[in-house]
Amino acid sequence: MGLRKLLRIARWEVATSTGTIDRKTIAVLLVAVLAAAAGAPAITSGAGQLDAGLYTVAVDDDHQFHDAIDARDSLRIVGSESRADIVVDDDRVRVTDATSGDAALSELRDAIRTYNTRNLRQEDDQTAAFPVFVDLEFVEQGGRTLGTGGDSGDGSGGGSDDGTDGGSGDGTTSDGSDSGGTTDGTGDTADGSGDSSDGGLGSGGSGNGQLPVPDVGVGGGSGAQSGTPGDISAPFPFAALVLAFLFVLPMNFVIQAYGSTIMDERRNRRGELLLVAPVTRTDVVGGKTLPYVGAIAAVTIAIAVLVGGGPLSVLAVLPIGMLFLGLTFVAAMFARSYKELTFLTVSISVFVTSFVFVPAIFTDVTPIALISPLTLVVIDLKGGAVDAGGVLFATAPSLLASTVLFGLGIGIYREEDMFTQLPVHRKALDALAAWIHRPRHVAAMTALFIPFVFVLELLAVAVLFALPLAVSLPAILVLVAVIEEVAKSLHVFAAFEHDRFERSMQTGLVLGLASGAGFFLAEKVTHAVQLVGLDQLEVGQAAFTPSSGVTPLLAVGLFLAPLVLHCVTAAIGAVGASRNARTYGTGLAIAILVHAGYNLGVILLVA
Amino acid sequence: MSRDPRLTIAKRELAALKSEKTIVLALLIQLFVAGFSSFLVVGLVSMYDPSSVEGGSVGVAIVGEGGEDVADSLESVDGIDPTTFADAEEAQTRFRDGRFDALLVVTESEDGRLRIRASVPDSGVRSTLVVVRLREGLQQVERDRRASFDHRLDFEPIALPEASSGSPYVGFTYTVLVPLLCFLPVFISGSIAVDSVSEELERGTFELLRAAPVSLVDILDGKLLAAGSLAPLQAALWLGLLRFNGIPIEHVLPVVSLVAALTAAIVGLGIAIALLAPDRRQAQLVYSVGVLSVFVVASLLPEHPANTVAKLAIGNPTDATWTLLVGYLVVGALALIAVRGLVGRLSVEHLGGDR
Repeated sequence: MGLRKLLRIARWEVATSTGTIDRKTIAVLLVAVLAAAAGAPAITSGAGQLDAGLYTVAVDDDHQFHDAIDARDSLRIVGSESRADIVVDDDRVRVTDATSGDAALSELRDAIRTYNTRNLRQEDDQTAAFPVFVDLEFVEQGGRTLGTGGDSGDGSGGGSDDGTDGGSGDGTTSDGSDSGGTTDGTGDTADGSGDSSDGGLGSGGSGNGQLPVPDVGVGGGSGAQSGTPGDISAPFPFAALVLAFLFVLPMNFVIQAYGSTIMDERRNRRGELLLVAPVTRTDVVGGKTLPYVGAIAAVTIAIAVLVGGGPLSVLAVLPIGMLFLGLTFVAAMFARSYKELTFLTVSISVFVTSFVFVPAIFTDVTPIALISPLTLVVIDLKGGAVDAGGVLFATAPSLLASTVLFGLGIGIYREEDMFTQLPVHRKALDALAAWIHRPRHVAAMTALFIPFVFVLELLAVAVLFALPLAVSLPAILVLVAVIEEVAKSLHVFAAFEHDRFERSMQTGLVLGLASGAGFFLAEKVTHAVQLVGLDQLEVGQAAFTPSSGVTPLLAVGLFLAPLVLHCVTAAIGAVGASRNARTYGTGLAIAILVHAGYNLGVILLVA
Repeated sequence: MSRDPRLTIAKRELAALKSEKTIVLALLIQLFVAGFSSFLVVGLVSMYDPSSVEGGSVGVAIVGEGGEDVADSLESVDGIDPTTFADAEEAQTRFRDGRFDALLVVTESEDGRLRIRASVPDSGVRSTLVVVRLREGLQQVERDRRASFDHRLDFEPIALPEASSGSPYVGFTYTVLVPLLCFLPVFISGSIAVDSVSEELERGTFELLRAAPVSLVDILDGKLLAAGSLAPLQAALWLGLLRFNGIPIEHVLPVVSLVAALTAAIVGLGIAIALLAPDRRQAQLVYSVGVLSVFVVASLLPEHPANTVAKLAIGNPTDATWTLLVGYLVVGALALIAVRGLVGRLSVEHLGGDR
């Protein structure tokens, strides 16, 4: 593949796409964006709020609750009791609507709390109004204690320099890395970070600098906090999350254009011209993709400058962009029509957005959040730092996965696939089979699937770990088995369907063994997982083979047992695949059952 | 042939969607979104307000002057188990050993304010539970202490009414889930309309259709009908499912007709954009940016459409809700008329294959 050819195609892509954009389109887009910008402020206030006036309350004008209710956006005062969710009588509140009454009541309690606080803030004697002041710090328990009491207590002398009270944060950072490699990336970085800005906001807002206003800043409640009891909150990086979402939003537009341009090549056989040109298909795809990578990079950098993100943010967002592009490329190669492409693009948007966004919500709660590159952005926006291992852990799976996706797509970037109309799943099998000619290719492809397996399993863990262990553990065991078995056998099935190999039991066994061995080797390589301390989570342990706290003999057994397991289950699946689709389904089901049973056995053995 | 050609075209459009199975994908996307956002809220609530899920009380060690008062106040709060220590060292050690979930060091300043330094273990989920409990407890401490200072205050805080044991998900269901399930199909329907028209334009198949004994308006009517009927159907389906799931939805008919009106407007917008834009790429770009901006600008209305849907679904519509609903119906009808007018004025050359 020649760089110059690639660049020439990239230039051509830019020229043709910008050439067709007419002034009308730009004008319309500009108007739309400006209108949105003008309307945006309203979203955060009054009418834009989703729950504005949602709950109805019947209350007398002179009741002590009246002003509090009146000031609350979500509560609406109605005259008749029959239309109200809750009715406020003299000194008690009656719930009259079974559906919304309880929610209305909890809003009412919030409203009264806010009302009390607002009035108390106007008191002259602030000491009496807020007679309790809390400094909250997070320390590590068990064995060494960090940021010991005396030290940080001295540090937080007066109310206004609470911002510098990062003492606890410091302690955690240094000791965290000491304590046996449990990097706990999220915890530390969260700590020292946002507080300086909190303190600043707080003292600025509250006039006499004695009381920090309830902070909504970027540091929103991360790590150490100070304030009245009502101010302290469980760590939740709300503002940073919203800003992080800004990074993901523009990608949805970029992939639309990108999907269109790839699809255009396939329509009316236009791409044939490029296919017969003296360039490789990697050049073509690379050249057509490069401008969009550039666009994402440019937008990302612009947003980073705008919201105050550092190089870490940009570094973390680019893998997300590559994942978007890789998926879109494959989707555009598979789709039969624009309509189908639209559905696929929407699916991609939804999937990738939830993949990156959901774990990032738990940035301050658990290290598992690091499976999403967006977590790095959240940490970065709050001013924290992550070690290299954490960065690698967050970005590598996405990058690898997008590379594999591009590889799969390029495999079918050829005449017989581009210009034929096949259902998406047939095309997917084509794409898989395109790279398989010998048994070792099967092993290599299984190994290449590891990033997907990894991403999906981590996503499953992230989704399920909030549930009680009794529910999440079996679910994880089964899900892991399903994901791994499909990854080990799908391409074998594709190869058989494309008559790459003779359909016999023996070939099935050979391919199964190859696939299982490939999976085992690749999995061992990725056991860097443990660097990030994921194995501390019990659910994480279920997903990744445990190997601590056992006798040496058992340890060797446990080390080799996965090899046997993967080969056996992969062989079951492959033998099933060697016949037809139905036997493949049966084989896969058996393999999954065996795998899940094995996982359960290991957990029981170790526990 | 007595059959209405518009129906024939609409049926053909739907058949194309069916044969590609893309409509299944659309439903799957929504299922995924719904499932995920529900998970999100359940996860968030349990993560950031774990007291709503878990039981178990939080052991708190207290040292320092004024510690007794704090302990007394904390005693009265559910889920907190305070213990006072005279010896600060001992309390520290026992907290470090993990026998307590929180350590409070209390100091009293000259003006009577209590300064409490709270240490909480840094252990993810557990510490959020501790913090939430601790906050409730310390708020009680604050209330008690404030009460003892009431001679120094002009304003007397209002006592809170009793809390209820209601589900914390009600607000989310009506303000996020229902509007999401109603509006996502609308957006997708419009997108399908854009694709359908620009595909015909770029393939040059409009010319073929022109040769058939149907008018251009009929063709686009058919497309409008196909794309426009999907969203209200999906919305109705989702509302039915929610009801089946034990979530009461009131005013189903108004909600569905609101969705239908919005679909008409958005699909009309999509078709107009697709007809006027030079290619699919720009059409989709203008369409999605346009819809996004419409959604943002809608917050300038007295009620955002999502809020309107929420109020209707929860059963608390206001006069403004009804007025807006009528407004949407009018806008939807006007959009249909406008698109038909636009189509009528387009020349055959414009719709030719090569542009």
